[in-house]
Order: sequence, then C-alpha cells, then structure tokens
Amino acid sequence: MTARKVMLLGEIGVGKSSTVQRLVFDKFDFNYKPTIGVDVYRYDLPEVAGRERQSLIVWDTDGNFGEAIFRHVYMKEASAAMIVGDLSRPQTLDTMVKLAEGFAGALPGRHISLLLNKIDLVSAPGAVELPEDFARLRIAPVMTSAKTGQNVQDCFVRAANDINRRGQ
Amino acid sequence: MTRQAPLLAAAMLLAGRSVFGLVWVDDRLNVTARYGVLADFVEIGEPITDSIPPLIGIEADILELKHSGGALLELPAVSIVSSQGAAPKLNFTALWSEEEQCILVLISRAGSQSNIEVELSRQIRARLIAEAEVTHKSKALTKANAELARANQDLEEFASIISHDLKGPMRALRFIAEDLVQLDSVMSQPDVLGQLENIRAQSQRMSEMLTSLLEYSSAGRKDEMREEVDSTVLIAAIIRATPRPVGIDVRTTGVWPAFETLRAPLDLVLRNLYENAIKHHDRQTGLIRLGCEDLGDSLRFEIEDDGAGIEPRHHAAIFLPFRRLEAAATGNGQGMGLAFVKRWVEAAGGRIGVRSEAPVTRGTVIWFDWPKTGR
Repeated sequence: MTARKVMLLGEIGVGKSSTVQRLVFDKFDFNYKPTIGVDVYRYDLPEVAGRERQSLIVWDTDGNFGEAIFRHVYMKEASAAMIVGDLSRPQTLDTMVKLAEGFAGALPGRHISLLLNKIDLVSAPGAVELPEDFARLRIAPVMTSAKTGQNVQDCFVRAANDINRRGQ
Repeated sequence: MTRQAPLLAAAMLLAGRSVFGLVWVDDRLNVTARYGVLADFVEIGEPITDSIPPLIGIEADILELKHSGGALLELPAVSIVSSQGAAPKLNFTALWSEEEQCILVLISRAGSQSNIEVELSRQIRARLIAEAEVTHKSKALTKANAELARANQDLEEFASIISHDLKGPMRALRFIAEDLVQLDSVMSQPDVLGQLENIRAQSQRMSEMLTSLLEYSSAGRKDEMREEVDSTVLIAAIIRATPRPVGIDVRTTGVWPAFETLRAPLDLVLRNLYENAIKHHDRQTGLIRLGCEDLGDSLRFEIEDDGAGIEPRHHAAIFLPFRRLEAAATGNGQGMGLAFVKRWVEAAGGRIGVRSEAPVTRGTVIWFDWPKTGR
C-alpha cells in the first residue's frame, strides 16, 4: 500500500477537523474543539481494480499557524494541500488565497484543492462573492459540507488521483 | 539479584512510566525492537511508517541521518487519531546510533494541556472568529451605506430632472389654456370655458407639485453653516411677510431666544407651518398662536390655530407626502408641506407631532422640538 501526505489548511473554525473526521470516520461532532498543533489521520482510499491500495495521511493543522506552517517541518514532502474556507465567513476565503499561494511557493507543482465548506449554512451558496484573487489561482473551488458529507470524499479522491498523475 | 547500573535503572523507570519510548529501526525503516509503554503501539517487523504515519514523507531524511554527523530529526506535538480517538500529543525524534549502527526513534510526551487551557483556547478562538465577523459586517455596512448614498443622490438627480423637464410642458399647457380662454369663440361657450379653466388650474397644480417634490427630495441634504439666530426677529419677519385674512389675528407666546442653529431650515419649517395654519383655517376670523418654550437641550415650538381641527385618525397621515384631508382639498398647497417640514425637522435632529381632538373640540397644535446643539 502506498501512502501520501496531505495537508489540511485554513483559518480557525472553518471546518478542517470536521472535514477529515467526516472523511475518515463518517461522523460529525457539533461540539467545536479547536485543534492544537496537528492531528494526523489515515484515510484508506476506496479500492480501484488493478491499482495498488492507497492511503492518504491527512495532517489536520492548527488554524493559528497561518502562513508560518510553510516553514514548519510538518509541511515536509507534502503531496497535496486541501485548503478550507468557511462560506458563511467570507473573510476566510481571502486567507485561502494566501495559503494556496504559500503552499505553491513552498512545494511547487503539488496538488491544491480549494474547499468552500459549510455550504449547509448558506441559503444561496452560488451567490456568495468569491475574492477576486481566486481567479488567479486557476483552481476551481468545490463546495462542501462536513456536516452533510457533501463532496467531501470526492474532493480527496480527486486529490489522490491528481497526486498519482503528477507522480508525487 | 543483580544490581543494575543507576542510569539504566532510571531509563527503565522512565520508560515504564510512559515518559519515553524507544524504537529500533533497520536501514529499510522496518522496526526491529521497541521499549517503553509509549512505544507499545509500534508493530515489530513492520515498516515504522505503518505505526507512525506522521513519518511518511520524511523517510529519506531519516535514512540520511546515518551520514548527518549526529543530527536529529524532530517531529513535535503530533497526535495520531484513530477510531478510538486522539492519542496524546507525542514528539518523535529520530537519530543515528553509532553504537548500535541503526536508527533510533525516541517517542516522548509533548506538553499536554489541561481542560482549562483547552477551554481558554476555545474561547479565545471563538472571540477571534466573532471579531472577524464584526470586521466583515462593518465593511459590508460601510459598503451598503455608500450604495445608499449613491442611490439617494441618483434619486435627487432624478427628481430634479423630472421636475425641471416636466414643468416646461406643464407651463406650456397652462399658457395654451389661458390663450384659448381669451378667444371669442370659446368665451361664448361656458362649458368649454369651464373645461379650459380646469385644464389651466390642474396644470398649475401639477407645476407646483413638481416644485414641492424637488424641494422635498433635497430637504435635509444641503451643507449649511450654523449661525446665531434670533428667533424673535425670525418669527417677526415670517409674520410680516406672510399675507393673512384681516380677521385672522396672530400672537406669539413664550420666550423666543437667540441661539446657534441652521437658519434656513428653521425659517422654512416655521414659515410652512404658519402658512398652513392660515391656509387651512375654515373661518374668516380666528387666532393663530406661535409659541416657544425652552426644554433645555431643545426648543419646543408650537403653531396653534382655532380652525376646524384634525381628527386623531388622520394625525399620522398628515405628515406623509401628497396626503391632504378632504376638508382642505379645495385650498392651495399640494400636500407636500407637512412631509417637507417633517423631513427638515428630523434632519436637524428634532421631532414633530400634532395635537387635535376634532370634531370634539376645535383647534390644532402642530409642535416640533428643535435641538439647540448640533446633530
């Protein structure tokens, strides 16, 4: 089985931990528990015929790290970054841009996903104004809900496929 | 019993008390041995990355330690989460052992946090999130206010254009009607004469409505300087300049002081209310009282007449634009007066109201409070 390291980045309270817990354990905890430091999860990807079993080692990081995370040993040899923002708090979307650019600068050529989380809290998700800088990232963001599970697994599976394609 | 060396005894004690654990790893990063409670979860014979997933990605760096001259590779404060929950935060330190010619991974406890510290951290984060929300909403409010200001300006410009552009045709219509009235052929036909007079009157009325609309839309927006105003002199000038029937008396009561305020709006308000009182009086004789009382922070002005009065059910409506009560509908004025006055009073930071108990008793008092200090 091959395993690849994936970083979960984003501001405090955007739903990083909820996202990975939905992914790995298919559960959602309504009680907010801040992540201190880093929690590491193993996610075994669904089996694909003719392909070796793969797993993702997801590093759920403390939102307080901010851009300092890119200078930390935690970031070493990460194959991908899943950057999470809270659709109900538009200012967290601005931070997503900075984190995406920071990751691309620290580890060029690696996969980046943009997860617009908490779609369940927003009545008109399509009407949320994305920061103008999103366009220069050239990454199509995906709307997710850790609470309902919408698009969570799909995002990580797509990330894994892209990691394979890039040979990371 | 063999007496163990003190250092070894101490190490065994610490290993047994979960202070540290040790893992021996070969040059393919497979686990060959382990020691200490903290290393109990590590599987012997398996790759170390299977038991310690955080080491995935730095395998090459670990192997490179053999040639690193004693360097350490540290991964601090990591919690491995399983379906049983999160393990305590651990530090992982890899180093090359020259004596044993293998890689050692030291596992030790990271600084733990008490429940109070965790709760404090949670509350600090909640506050940070709330502060960010406030900042964002403030920006949204600022943006909304700017849009509102633009919309108001657009409306004012629209009103100005409409009133200006429509007044021309209205005036032309009135002149045509007036010219037609003068024709001999028309003067001999009373019904036609009546209709033309109607056209003239209505076009005159519409022209005046447009003027009032323009004044209303710009009310309260002018930049004006505050100045010392002697209200006694002001009201005397208003009374002098406003025609009234011979039988209508007017008197002032109270003390009308000199104070610093915006002259033009106060003048407009008093003039409009005084004119209204005269215009809507239902008799040829009567009394209009203009009063002023100092309330401390503001002056209470009252314009009282002994006319027919206004029924309480109409009190709110009289301040709305283009609302005129049936009894006064035959008089002059387009119904903008009190709406106009209300807007000016409120723009100055004051408030306005009416007292009247028609038809039980006659008379109406329109009062307004005008702040003595700036808004």
